Amino acid sequence: MADQLTTGKAPAIAKVVATRRGRLPFLTILGAGIVLAWALVAIFAPFLSPYDPIATDFNAILQPMSRAHPLGTDSLGHDMLAQIIYGTRVDLSMGLIGVAAPFVIGIIIGIIGGYFGGLLDTLLMRLLDIALAFPFIVLVLAIVAILGPGLKNYYIALAIVAWVPYARLVRAETLVLRNLEFVEAARVLGYDSFYIIVRHVLPNAITPAAVFLMTDIVLTILLGSGLSFYGLGAQPPTPEWGRLIAQGQTYISQAWWISVFPGIAIVLMALGFTLLGDGLAKQLKVRQ
Amino acid sequence: MVATEEPAVTEAPPATEEAPVATEEEEETVIRIATPNTVSTLDPIKSAAAGDIQVFGQLYSRLLKATPDGSELLPGLAERWEQSEDQTVWTFYLRDGLKFSDGIPLTAEDVVFSFLRLRDHEGSVYSGPFQPIKDVEALDEKTVRFTLDGPAAPFFGSVEMFNAGIVPKHAVEEMGEEEFAKMPVVSGPYMVREWLPNDRLIMERNPYYWREGYPKIDVVEFIEVPNDNTRVSMISTGEIDVAVSVPWANIEELDQRDDIDVPLDPSTVIEVVLLNHKDPMLSDVRVRKAIAMALDVDNITKTVTFGKATRANSPLPNSLLYYDPDLPAIPYDPDQAKQLLEEAGAMGKKLELMMVSGSAITEQIHLLMQNQLTAVGFEVTIKQVDLGTWWDLLVGGEYQAAASWWYNETPDPDLAVRWALCGTCGSDSFYTFYVNEEIDRLADEAVKEVDPQKRAELYHRIQQIALDEVAQIPLYYPPYTNAYSTAIQGLMMNPAIQWSLEEATITR
Amino acid sequence: MKKINLILQRFWQIIPVLLGISIITFLLAHSIPGDPVRLILGPRAPQDVIDAVRQQYGLDEPVLTQYFIYLRNLVRGDWGQSIAFKTPVLELVLLRFTPTLYLLIGGLVFSIIPTLVLSILGSANPDGWLDQTIRVFYTVGLGLPSYWLALVLVLIFAIRSGWLPATGFGNNIKEHISHMILPWATVSMVMTPILTRNLRATLMEKQDADFVIAGLSKGLPRYYIFWRHILPNSVLPSLHLLGVIVLYILGSSIVIEPIFAIPGLGQLYIRSVIGRDYYVIQAMTLVFSLITVTATLAVDVLTLIIDPRIK
Repeated sequence: MADQLTTGKAPAIAKVVATRRGRLPFLTILGAGIVLAWALVAIFAPFLSPYDPIATDFNAILQPMSRAHPLGTDSLGHDMLAQIIYGTRVDLSMGLIGVAAPFVIGIIIGIIGGYFGGLLDTLLMRLLDIALAFPFIVLVLAIVAILGPGLKNYYIALAIVAWVPYARLVRAETLVLRNLEFVEAARVLGYDSFYIIVRHVLPNAITPAAVFLMTDIVLTILLGSGLSFYGLGAQPPTPEWGRLIAQGQTYISQAWWISVFPGIAIVLMALGFTLLGDGLAKQLKVRQ
Repeated sequence: MVATEEPAVTEAPPATEEAPVATEEEEETVIRIATPNTVSTLDPIKSAAAGDIQVFGQLYSRLLKATPDGSELLPGLAERWEQSEDQTVWTFYLRDGLKFSDGIPLTAEDVVFSFLRLRDHEGSVYSGPFQPIKDVEALDEKTVRFTLDGPAAPFFGSVEMFNAGIVPKHAVEEMGEEEFAKMPVVSGPYMVREWLPNDRLIMERNPYYWREGYPKIDVVEFIEVPNDNTRVSMISTGEIDVAVSVPWANIEELDQRDDIDVPLDPSTVIEVVLLNHKDPMLSDVRVRKAIAMALDVDNITKTVTFGKATRANSPLPNSLLYYDPDLPAIPYDPDQAKQLLEEAGAMGKKLELMMVSGSAITEQIHLLMQNQLTAVGFEVTIKQVDLGTWWDLLVGGEYQAAASWWYNETPDPDLAVRWALCGTCGSDSFYTFYVNEEIDRLADEAVKEVDPQKRAELYHRIQQIALDEVAQIPLYYPPYTNAYSTAIQGLMMNPAIQWSLEEATITR
Repeated sequence: MKKINLILQRFWQIIPVLLGISIITFLLAHSIPGDPVRLILGPRAPQDVIDAVRQQYGLDEPVLTQYFIYLRNLVRGDWGQSIAFKTPVLELVLLRFTPTLYLLIGGLVFSIIPTLVLSILGSANPDGWLDQTIRVFYTVGLGLPSYWLALVLVLIFAIRSGWLPATGFGNNIKEHISHMILPWATVSMVMTPILTRNLRATLMEKQDADFVIAGLSKGLPRYYIFWRHILPNSVLPSLHLLGVIVLYILGSSIVIEPIFAIPGLGQLYIRSVIGRDYYVIQAMTLVFSLITVTATLAVDVLTLIIDPRIK
């Protein structure tokens, strides 16, 4: 970062945030560690899981925590620990895949709108206003209802509506960047827009988007599990955490573990990404 | 107690400040019932949804009245009746002094009006049973004569159906259909005090109800609570007196309490697996048989309902007349299933189960089915859609297999057969697109057959054929899982979804 | 002068936005497979009756025609008829407005107050043990799924202990409040982390602002600087959060109300989507968008008014 002046890149637009004495790296590392831990769980699920998650056992229905079933069983005898472990694969990939398209689309739209301005930008802003005012849940619900249930269509729905925050952040950043001296200079010198955008604007404009990415992963997981909670996301018997929580609703008074543990898993995974995101924000000295 | 003084005659429906007949010293007795079903209209011919059916019976009296358990038909608005030798002409004689809830007399004109409306109105949702009525006329103020097209065995029972309640001609015509459906003038034990759509329906005793001394409880509140858990917790805390349809998993815990009872009264519900006969793979009876044999129905029943339901042997519900209890169920035989699949060349093929989201039970059944069908060689996926989409796909025949349920609104099997097993009766055999002309023929014969024994034979044959050809796969017969506070006596729901509210009492 | 112009500009921008939302909703809702009439008449209704009722509601006209009829009626004040309840939509909406209002107001109050308290406490003594505890709290809190939290709260405070009612709305104000405690707690526990994080960051930022250094060099005590300078300067950049809260509470009412069986707009909304009750869906979307847009506009206007930099 310190070398940016010599390479001709602008310093990342920053508002200086007071540094935390020594706290900064620790929490970030903790976050990274948590995320890594989940990734490992996802990869090594077959080795870590004591049972096959979709294997039923009619002699062990609605069992509380025990040595045989450390997190209990559900109404068909599925082992909860196994389901949560395998569910890591589903939820982690849901968070990562779900943000990919919105990230890319949002950045492209944000840069184009912010850089070129004019009618295009005005249209874009109107579009943003509409998307913002529209109850997001309803939009996703409707799209999924039309396209059909399942995680694949959830990703499509996200691609259609979830790019907005990225576009806003990037557009705001681009607007500022556009007026900086070195960009002016490049324009005067005759470099074409595309080149300027890619070499100068993009690397810097992307920063706030990259930071938001972490938060967005959390939001995507929360929304996706919420969708599964309503039966519109992951299809049975996929052990997606939100679906498991929904399943446990009926048995909440006799078998609370079915709903509670998957929720804890969501909170822990979200924690990892949040810490990572916070740390990233501080590192890049960007205000969220 | 029935009001003995005549109130001033009003044309408009009674205002809510008219005194119910509790004496001044006593407070009103109130019973609160939480139901997952919604009340969508108060006009008895306009809906056949469960939430409305249970209410119509309380608001409107019929010519006949069923006993609380639904087994017998007794005089209702009609005190006696006669039928002709060939059973094509029925004459009903109304009681004296019948009045609607606004004090205006109930006469044969109203009966005629109600039945014509039932039969002919384009918004009459369940008019099928009344089509055989060729003519209905008022011979005098208290006498109604029905002339049928031909002998129709179910006719007598249909007269007691939920939508055959007698509505006041004057009120419907004056208020207009829409207003009437919101705040009707009624003939039943209860009248409407307040209706908040999608929230609750509050009914109070009808002072002009024909039956002296009834209803016993002054006020009935139907509270709509779609969430299962919520209903369970509401009855656990005593917030309500009756919880309709508690989940199987909660029955034991509720029943064991001293203050709650879960009697598991018989219903006419049957849980089935629908197979789409239009699907090329499923049009082969061997594949259907294989699926039936692959399913361990006893296990499914026991697991899903915690042993509270009876495993089904026949495609008709077990509380219907002429249900055949001796019909041997399709056995659980996975080896035989595999063989059949090999024969039919369907081994390893894909099979998609379509389920409605939002029900833990449905999900369980489908998961179990998936396991068992995978075990015999299918590649099974589950597709979970919401209710609207499910119906769309079902009616359009765009599915392969789906577990669902249905019930019959009367104990007479005619409508049940036409609904579930008849391919040319308008419902495509509950959208399985199963067509067997012999069944259709037998059904037509059976509806005209007045000799009970012969009728029984016909329906037994129908059930046998449907089972042999695996029209659908019967799973189990679930009883009602209503939970009642023990403070209530005499309340039950009969197989036709009718409450015995007027006979019920509360001791708090 | 310019300020007023800006404010008016924002006002005018609302109309195309709402119109856009209205059209998109209508088209979307009608594209979802499923027939509302069949759903409401029950499974045994014969096709010809379904067709007759469909005709009554004009459901067989081309979608755009239906939309224009809807728009024309809307202008006259007729929001259409609910297919499920056969009552005017406006009636339904007014009936169910109150519970959601309770949720909104209570949610606002119980989110804003803890946020203020925690952010101020935290930034008053940065990196102190209090601050760190608060940071842990909101970092963890960011990941709470609202539907899960609702279930857990119900489990602990209603089912297991019986202290609070699990569900419903009650029949009088006292009951309303006791029934809303858990829903408010849910909203609060989900919203407060987000808001606290934001506000605290803003407050921390301002710590190094010029006026702080100037004040310190003049020998002014820290707390004075905090209350007289930092806090007021943090209000402006944080106002947009109000819009965020409103938007969030509205959105989450769709999830929370069904779980707590609160007969409000959120529950009506989800029921109407499931039941394909087109005109209710339209109305609900309009109401939600209107509230959101109004809140955002109010915040924008407030910002414009307060901001001394814009003349």
